[in-house]
Amino acid sequence: MLEVLHSLLFSTLDAAPALVFAALGAMLSERAGVVSVGVEGMMRTGAFCAAVAALAMPTPVAVLVGMGAGAAIAAVHGFLSIRWRSDQVVSGMALNLVAMAGGTFLLESLFGPNGTPAITQLPRWNVPGLSAVPLLGALSGHAAPTYLALTLPFLFHLLLSRTPLGLRLRAVGDKPHAVATLGLSVSALRWGAVLGGGLMAGLGGAVLSTAVLDRFEQHTPAGLGFMALAAMVFGRWTPLGAFAAALFFAFGNALRIGLASSAPWLLDLVPQGFLLALPYLLTLLVLALQGQRGHAPAALGTPYEQESR
Amino acid sequence: MGERTRQVLPSVLSVLLALAVCWLTIALTRDADTATRAYLQMLWGGVGNWPAFLDGGSATAVLRPLGEAAMKAALLTLTGLSVAVAFKVGLFNIGAQGQMIWGALAAALVGAHVSLPGVLHVPLALLAAALAGAAWSSIAGVLKLKRGVHEVISTIMLNWVAVSLVDNWLVIGPLRAVAEGHQSSITGTAEILATAQLPRLLGDSSRLNLGFPLALVAALGVWVWLGRTSAGYETRAVGLTPEAARAAGIPTLQRAGGAMALAGALAGLAGAVLVLGTEGRYPGSLGAPYGFDGIAIALIGNNHPLGAAVSAAVFGILRAGGTRMQLLGVHKSFPELIQGFALLFVAGRMVWLAVLRRRREQPAAEVPRA
Amino acid sequence: MSLEDASLDIVPGELLAVVGENGAGKSSLMNVLYGLYHPDAGTFLMDGKPVRLRSPRDAIARGIGMVHQHFMLVPTLTVAENVVLGREPTRRGLLDLDRACDEVATTAKRFGFQLDPRARVDTLTVGSQQKVEIVKALHRGAQVLILDEPTAVLTPQESDELAQVMRGLVAQGRTVVLISHKLKEVLGVADRVAVMRRGRTVAEVRAAETTVSALASLMVGEGSRGAALTGVPAPPGAVVSDARDAQAGLAPLDAQDARGGTAASAPGVFDARREAAATAASGPLDAKSEGAGTVASGPPVLDAKDLRAKGDNSRPALQGVSLTVRAGEIVGIAGVDGNGQRELAEVLTGLRALEGGGGTLLGGPLAGLTPALAKARGVGHVPEDRLARAVVKAMTVEENVALGRHRQPPFARGPWVDFKGRRERATRLLATYDVRPPDPTVALQALSGGNQQKVVVARELDADPKLLVVVQPTRGLDIGAVAQVHARLREAKARGAGVVMVSLDLEEVLALSDRVYVLYEGRVTGHFPRKDLDERELGRRMLGAESDHG
Repeated sequence: MLEVLHSLLFSTLDAAPALVFAALGAMLSERAGVVSVGVEGMMRTGAFCAAVAALAMPTPVAVLVGMGAGAAIAAVHGFLSIRWRSDQVVSGMALNLVAMAGGTFLLESLFGPNGTPAITQLPRWNVPGLSAVPLLGALSGHAAPTYLALTLPFLFHLLLSRTPLGLRLRAVGDKPHAVATLGLSVSALRWGAVLGGGLMAGLGGAVLSTAVLDRFEQHTPAGLGFMALAAMVFGRWTPLGAFAAALFFAFGNALRIGLASSAPWLLDLVPQGFLLALPYLLTLLVLALQGQRGHAPAALGTPYEQESR
Repeated sequence: MGERTRQVLPSVLSVLLALAVCWLTIALTRDADTATRAYLQMLWGGVGNWPAFLDGGSATAVLRPLGEAAMKAALLTLTGLSVAVAFKVGLFNIGAQGQMIWGALAAALVGAHVSLPGVLHVPLALLAAALAGAAWSSIAGVLKLKRGVHEVISTIMLNWVAVSLVDNWLVIGPLRAVAEGHQSSITGTAEILATAQLPRLLGDSSRLNLGFPLALVAALGVWVWLGRTSAGYETRAVGLTPEAARAAGIPTLQRAGGAMALAGALAGLAGAVLVLGTEGRYPGSLGAPYGFDGIAIALIGNNHPLGAAVSAAVFGILRAGGTRMQLLGVHKSFPELIQGFALLFVAGRMVWLAVLRRRREQPAAEVPRA
Repeated sequence: MSLEDASLDIVPGELLAVVGENGAGKSSLMNVLYGLYHPDAGTFLMDGKPVRLRSPRDAIARGIGMVHQHFMLVPTLTVAENVVLGREPTRRGLLDLDRACDEVATTAKRFGFQLDPRARVDTLTVGSQQKVEIVKALHRGAQVLILDEPTAVLTPQESDELAQVMRGLVAQGRTVVLISHKLKEVLGVADRVAVMRRGRTVAEVRAAETTVSALASLMVGEGSRGAALTGVPAPPGAVVSDARDAQAGLAPLDAQDARGGTAASAPGVFDARREAAATAASGPLDAKSEGAGTVASGPPVLDAKDLRAKGDNSRPALQGVSLTVRAGEIVGIAGVDGNGQRELAEVLTGLRALEGGGGTLLGGPLAGLTPALAKARGVGHVPEDRLARAVVKAMTVEENVALGRHRQPPFARGPWVDFKGRRERATRLLATYDVRPPDPTVALQALSGGNQQKVVVARELDADPKLLVVVQPTRGLDIGAVAQVHARLREAKARGAGVVMVSLDLEEVLALSDRVYVLYEGRVTGHFPRKDLDERELGRRMLGAESDHG
């Protein structure tokens, strides 16, 4: 029993980082008032660029390249939605479509249909002594992103609730006009949040192809970006909430995969499809129960417009 | 610049720019000559190889590609309409994909398991698909109207619920076709009966089927409904200024819910056209994400029903031609890249308008401050 | 944006008022001074040196602070967080909220404000939120404080308090710029007054050396001033209907003089446009005033008992309101903003659900009324927030004319839109109501505010309502449009409609009403037939004073 739990925890911690990073990125952008449905496309771009870069440079550097790629897609989103006040959902979905088809096109033109060649994965770290401890041992033996994913949410929490920048970000997502009249730049704050969100989503994607797998695959990230959105909503647009939701979803996934191999008879009772749908169903349920209005940033999705120029 | 031009021009320019940018990506990864030949293949693959036909080739050289294009255009028109209709009432339907999945499943089940003469079987299967799609979209509608849940979030969630439940459970589990002795590896649901197949319009040389005229009729119907009926007028009023519509005695919840249900029904019909027209069953998975494409089609068509039909025709042709590009080593999903870029450029509509305005000083009335 | 060659001198240590009609450019000019808008041409000198204000940051750095008409507060943050936003105290890189609270408490105390720095702003009253705004500016070291229409949302007591605050600031050597269109209030507090008209500053005068009527003439322009001086009724914007408007405007004035004998207050109660209109119409006064004075005797169209309803904030907004309205009379609802008038209008039009009470409206029960039901029974509605409630601005004018009756002839035939019938009707109405441009196919948003309102009034009156509910029908309109709207309301009354008119403008209430109900905190605190109308007494009741003698 302990054995099973251990391996469940281990695979949860292995799989969670991509989701955690993407959810934090989406949250950062949305707290500043910019909708982030393009997070799937940013992840895909980050995953692709990191995998390609890792063919030519050390993997950790390639991860940085992936982050930059995510930020580049976010920059397009920022250009359209902040600079030109376009519909943020449209812009995000457009970027998803471009990343989807563009990723496939480049993959096929450069490497063929089976994904990029294998790359060196990020090294895994064993925490001396910890491995032997029951359950806690599951914390040992992961790559760097796992440990980063366990700390970043707390840093984000600190940033949002306890720093001047965080205060301004919250204000700009709730009432941008108030921020503008104090002489702060609404667009600078939103640009910062959107680019930061892009870096995080790109990191999430890069982790997929450098830590979870050892290549970029045709369908990466296979909807994980949307699940990150679910985690963000489920976590009520807070860093710790999104973190907890992401962990929970990752655990559910690990449980499903674990069950499929160890107890297939159970899956006859509870079909896999149900378990796959569970994170989304739960998010819908939570939204249905509490309504959404109370928690989303008030100015989310509304382009900032000074009354006159 | 007239109002009509202001509506249409950005879309046209966006598609042209997308074509240019994508040509450049092939030219850069390969060479300019390949890019041009790939585009020609795409064109012949979409509208037919007219030069070959006129040189004495068989009619199939033209009819087959046109049939493929029409088939794809039909699906894109229906999902595009789905998104556009929801937009008209102020809702962003990201969920056409999920609605289409349930529609396809419903059509496949009615097509395979109900015995009826053809005149009744096809309409019944279509109806079932429309109802299934409407039911699924109505979940998002109810959540929005009763609980204030943003439809973008809920329809995204519902898409994944639909994929998970149908593709990962029903179709591989309880609803999977029972293998009849010979092959045990059938994926998807049972084959539909011949009476449920959408009739082919040009015989065996082309897959053009009833789905295409059906989609056109749907587009015309939506256009007439929105522009010429009181119910359509009310729907638009609700979408533009919901409080004013409510104050005017319009049943806003009913209109918004109705439009959302119609959106789901249209996406469900797309699923039916796919299953009854070409696939013959619900396959292992629905394949191309026509539901997501609908977002691009609707927006490139400026959320106008006829605009959606036109943009669906354009991308139907490009995508039918996409398969031919493989001859030159370009992935068949390439037209989707064009479509993605076109949507991206349409999203920058404000940029277009600013550029166009700078070129021609526009006399449009100043919007006064209240 | 509406500024054209506007100039303004601000002298340190004075209280300067900037007055003008709606749309005269007051707010635009102030937004320029605060760096929010950038002028196309012109210079801005400070202490004799030219200065460029690129953003509010520049303005703040130069000691300019501004309190906007619509508060610029983040509702989910606390008072302290709102005040320090943008110049947050930190300790080791982290936000030092304790220090922020201390600082804010100190600033507030120094200027005599009672504010809890840890309270969330959305829990505060409007008056307190305004104080937060002022503290916000002072906390940034504002030497020049601009207040844009600060009393528009305040109760009279709060307004008095604000006046003291402003005088106090000036006494400390700071400069206050007050934007307002309430002339009486301005003269009571300002040192100097600048008058704006159509984007220009047309006069600067010392408050002690001018009068309300002089300012009013300056505000409305030469034509009216000519009229005021010579008695010739010929202001260009004000057509014949203006004269009718004016006589009613004078009636309560006379009544008041006769009763109260406080002659000094008489001119003061007039705001600019009424003053102009009044002077323009001095002639045919007596001949027509009897219409307004008679008590209507038609059958009741509304008989409401003990109405109770909640407001948007789900606090009780109506706490037992009873009123009757008869056919052929205009019933005014007076009160300080936010005392349940809006909710009352919404209940009568089916937009807000009743929590208790009831009665009859046009032969049916008031309980369970929906907008559609209200329309069907013959309720017309001219709501306050036109763009949100009355029109679909992105639709054409003719589509807006049809709104509400779009399922009936001539706008529809069966389930179909009747394009021909709609075009004909719309064209006719635009001509009758003098809407410009008279083109039914343009988008409504291309019309000016006054013309949009004419479209709304035309639409509602064309339906021949039996009960007409109008809220703030002339807010933000120019004189000509005001006169027209007033004339149309009288016309509706003459045709036998019962009219309920909610207005924050006491002059408007006094001018048009046959009877007046006063609302205070969701209750009726006064009910006056026209002959008993007394402005002072109305004012007392608006502040919650109950009747002395039952």
